[in-house]
Amino acid sequence: MVRAGAFSPMSGSPAHDSNGIASATGVGLRACHYRDFLDGHPRTGWLEVHSENYFGDGGYDLHVLDCVRERYSVSLHGVALSLGSADGIRAAHLAKLKRLASRIEPVLVSEHLCWGAIGPRHFNDLLPMPFTRVALNAMVSHVAEVQEALGRRILVENVSSYVQFRNADMTEFGFLVELAYRSGCGILLDVNNLYVNSVNHGFDADEVLVEVPAALVGEIHLAGHSKGDDVLIDDHGSAVPPAVWKLYERACQRFGPVPTLVEWDTDIPSIEVLLGEADKAAQVMAVAHA
Amino acid sequence: MRDLIEMQRRFGAALAVAEGGRSAPDLFRGDADAVRRRFAIYRGNARATAAKALLAAYPVIGRLVGEEFFSGLAREYETRFPSASGDLNEFGGSFAAFLADFAPAREIPYLADVARLEWQVHSAHYAADAPMFDPAALIALSAEEQLALRPRLHPACRLIRSDYPLERIWAVNQPGFEGDLAVDFSRPPANVLVYRPRFRVEVRELDASAAAFLAATHAGGTLEQALAAAQSRDISFDLAGSLLEWVGSAIIVDFSPAGGTP
Repeated sequence: MVRAGAFSPMSGSPAHDSNGIASATGVGLRACHYRDFLDGHPRTGWLEVHSENYFGDGGYDLHVLDCVRERYSVSLHGVALSLGSADGIRAAHLAKLKRLASRIEPVLVSEHLCWGAIGPRHFNDLLPMPFTRVALNAMVSHVAEVQEALGRRILVENVSSYVQFRNADMTEFGFLVELAYRSGCGILLDVNNLYVNSVNHGFDADEVLVEVPAALVGEIHLAGHSKGDDVLIDDHGSAVPPAVWKLYERACQRFGPVPTLVEWDTDIPSIEVLLGEADKAAQVMAVAHA
Repeated sequence: MRDLIEMQRRFGAALAVAEGGRSAPDLFRGDADAVRRRFAIYRGNARATAAKALLAAYPVIGRLVGEEFFSGLAREYETRFPSASGDLNEFGGSFAAFLADFAPAREIPYLADVARLEWQVHSAHYAADAPMFDPAALIALSAEEQLALRPRLHPACRLIRSDYPLERIWAVNQPGFEGDLAVDFSRPPANVLVYRPRFRVEVRELDASAAAFLAATHAGGTLEQALAAAQSRDISFDLAGSLLEWVGSAIIVDFSPAGGTP
């Protein structure tokens, strides 16, 4: 049994975790921008990649990541560890993450407040958790197991969702904050996901910001979304919308300088446009702290 | 905990329901119609993710059958061989077996073999790296000692045998291919080698002697055994010239000493 709380938030502030990128903005590194980073040195505070894209034994993607790592701080952001699976962490997946983390020495490691696998099946999606005590206990134990294996604190990100469980007895952030206190993990606050959920489920995003202790927030994500029939869809396929910028500004005022990342995963623009979004985030952060 | 397992099983089962599955599991709060529409977003994501991952591994199949047929194949494949890994690069390993068995796909008889090749190309992309071999290390050895060495193939190398001209089908369907698109299906069965000189995966056809040599090498044989296998196909097999080229193309990346484990 893994001891929960071995990586207590009291043992280090978010700034301690993020070694020098505390107030820096970064962008998600995607394959279509590999050449920009191999041939030049685009100006960005740090880079984040999806861990699973580098789970191979070797080859081009890992080569690019090694090259980029020589010049930038790199954060590993997992999308499929499935921290919320009722039947536990997949050992093979965790072993691959551990191998990658040993190779890359990432500045941050993060995952999602979700599940994606049950039994032999993996759904390769960020599926919503029922916010119940039973689910929380399972997740505390899984996060502790991952932190024990990696020998470091991880951050857990709130996800966007389209349905809410009838049996939930906590809010998403009530669940996430308690998870952080009990497991010692930090929070990756995705401002876009928070905004999307506030519209989809009808709550006040600003009230959520007040619920979250500043010391727990180790990273912020920004991205775009699109409009569905009666929901917002978190597709990371456009510039950060004005409502998300406004919420980010209030998050900056509340949480102080936090490493901030701009994600763009579909209809990905040129590196200049992407870096422009990160610059904009840096301005918002600077004004909020002036 | 049983509740959570049960909930995730029900959620998963409802996601896996393909076309026609319009209902949502009875787990969520809110208006039933809205819940149904919203749950369908997850179902749509699952279909799109599977199709996208499959197309990334099988771009030539995608070109050969067209977008619409491919998405139908992807839906059917995902139902029969659902993803078992959080690493989507591992999704699609049974596609060749599926195509060989799925009647609508069998109308193109070589499709399953092309899929076999594409899966090897895909996995070669993620195979381990190997440093280039420096032949200078061999010069001090006598001819006899050299023949006792075991050549080692790059971890990305794969040998495939097919009744169809796979290398040609693959080549004319690469992005940027220019020239004659004709494929001669009357040729005899051929051996194809997948290899990765640095980071770009290549495909080439092998003559019978080269294929015999590399197959013997792959099986852990010594240089002498591999040479005998090659010469049984072609007595004039050019050992020195072949080795030089294979080492230069990172097909052979090491020679283990005699008696070493293959």
